[in-house]
Amino acid sequence: MSPDLLLALFTGAALFGVGIYGALSQTNLVMIMMGVELILAGALVNLVAFWRFLHPDSYAGQMFVLIVMTVMALEMAVGFGVAIARFRARGSVEMEEATELQG
Amino acid sequence: MISLQTVFIAFFGIATIGFGILVFRTSSMVRSALALLFSQTALGAMFLAMQAEFLGVLQIMMMATEMSIMAIFMVMFMMDPGGLGAMEMSHQKRLSILAGVVGALATAGIALFTPWGVVVNVAPPAAEQIRALGTELLGRSMLIFETAGVTILTAMIAATAVALPALQRKRNA
Repeated sequence: MSPDLLLALFTGAALFGVGIYGALSQTNLVMIMMGVELILAGALVNLVAFWRFLHPDSYAGQMFVLIVMTVMALEMAVGFGVAIARFRARGSVEMEEATELQG
Repeated sequence: MISLQTVFIAFFGIATIGFGILVFRTSSMVRSALALLFSQTALGAMFLAMQAEFLGVLQIMMMATEMSIMAIFMVMFMMDPGGLGAMEMSHQKRLSILAGVVGALATAGIALFTPWGVVVNVAPPAAEQIRALGTELLGRSMLIFETAGVTILTAMIAATAVALPALQRKRNA
């Protein structure tokens, strides 16, 4: 197997792991969003590596990368909208205090 | 024989992961946002090393603006954006580390043991890539591309609606 492909896939795996750690361990909404960004970044590396090393003649791979980049931007936009609403209502974006929907 | 491309992919890969870890290691929110910016920029450089020129430049440009906005939000929303008070802003650390390590090892295992087939070592030239991607966007994948546009519009309206103060929302209704 190509070492370049493996390196890229391992980078994606590491970013995925770091992102999961961040999304689960942080109490601040903006920091949780940073974790999700890293998870999506891991997906991006994999997609670019699959396009480059396995199917460079098919541009559906690059198209998929553009869609994931769009999802990253949307996640930020909606996340910041929620953060503003939360900050206005409670004066904080700490997620440990967000227990209104708790059963 | 290790090629220059392998060296660059490894270098930028390590930089991406290193800055990614730094995001959650510093108590300053501004430093976290900057670490994420550097991580995403290194990722863009890694795309360039993989000869995906358009995607690499796009990644660097998008993330530079996105992370700058994130840094501003960090300063706005945090009680201690500079991290001078060394506030603890994490919980369930052991479980999170375990989940992260298991997730990373599982995906690395899949990458290692999957038979990926024939690896192509030659990438199309940059100009050819952009032309072919344009044809893809306006041809076979046009519906997906248009769906992404509509989704962006929906998210913009949703984000603005959610961020409006409750009183103003009531008045509008």
